[in-house]
Amino acid sequence: MLTQAPTLETERLILRGPENRDAEPLIAFLCDQERAAGFGASPDRHDAWRWFGLMVGHWHIRGYGYFVIEEKATGKTAGICGIWNPDGWPEPELGWVVFDEFEGMGLAHEAALRAREWAYAPDGLGFTTLTSNIVPSNARSIALAERLGAWAERTYTNVHMGEDILYRHPGPDDLDKDGSVEAYA
Amino acid sequence: MSLSLNIPVIETERLILRGPRESDFEPFAAFSASERAKFVGGPYTRYRSWGGFLAGYGHWALRGYGMWMLEDRASGATAGRVGVIFNEGWDEPELGWHIYDGFEGRGLAYEAALAARDYAARHFGITAPISYIDPANTRSKALADRLGARFEREGEVVGEACHVYRHPATEAA
Repeated sequence: MLTQAPTLETERLILRGPENRDAEPLIAFLCDQERAAGFGASPDRHDAWRWFGLMVGHWHIRGYGYFVIEEKATGKTAGICGIWNPDGWPEPELGWVVFDEFEGMGLAHEAALRAREWAYAPDGLGFTTLTSNIVPSNARSIALAERLGAWAERTYTNVHMGEDILYRHPGPDDLDKDGSVEAYA
Repeated sequence: MSLSLNIPVIETERLILRGPRESDFEPFAAFSASERAKFVGGPYTRYRSWGGFLAGYGHWALRGYGMWMLEDRASGATAGRVGVIFNEGWDEPELGWHIYDGFEGRGLAYEAALAARDYAARHFGITAPISYIDPANTRSKALADRLGARFEREGEVVGEACHVYRHPATEAA
């Protein structure tokens, strides 16, 4: 166990703490300049491995972080999703990344709903609000944020990504018991 | 919520070598942003430093060893960072040392590096580590000499040319 992350479950996914076997899929994603552009691509393997270490360290210093998304059917590492809050960030954010072969199946939505539910749960993190920081060119992430009921609150300059849109998620009191926003979407 | 990484604590005459704490970040970032970081790939932005600081926790989790923070026993201040680094792209585990501003010139790096090297041999099975040293870093070279390390070859780490020193094999008592 590299972290104290809890294990969460959805219909098709397991959200769990990062393990050594996740390093290579994550490095492959981070080194893909095109696909990782909206997330913050790594120039080389060294930087990507360091980022994996950073992701582990985030759990230790913050008590929360990115879960690894594992697809139940295959046991494969499908992406990462969780609560991220580096030094200089405006506030803790809900973030998600789904790797190449796992796109287009709604897995990011499923994972993000579960991670948000955990962040808001009194026996999870007990947060009362959440944001997502999305670069303006990342249309797919913007679409998912909107599907999650989040709205663009303001534009600001992110210390790492530059121009960034801060999306605000509905709070715990705005959500149905299942974490969805269908009631007023 | 917290999880101990079980980072060992080592006490020397003047120092405590221990795992990182959040309160170490400001001294860490100050060093990383300073001219003094030019021999370790810097200076770095604060954001980059924060990532490096957290990656230090991750290194312990992933490798089972890593860099200790140095606590000055007299003042409780964070005096630097010493330990074994084996990042992706490294040839093999490296004994590294960074001494922060205000703690130089007192032999603290020597004291810490000796303790870390000894511990690494006895508990991590790392018995004759290398040290990557910037050819222009005369102080670090002098310390490597004092530690009994010898110039082995010219090398490269993360695209930067450097000298590779080899430490003498420490008895894994």
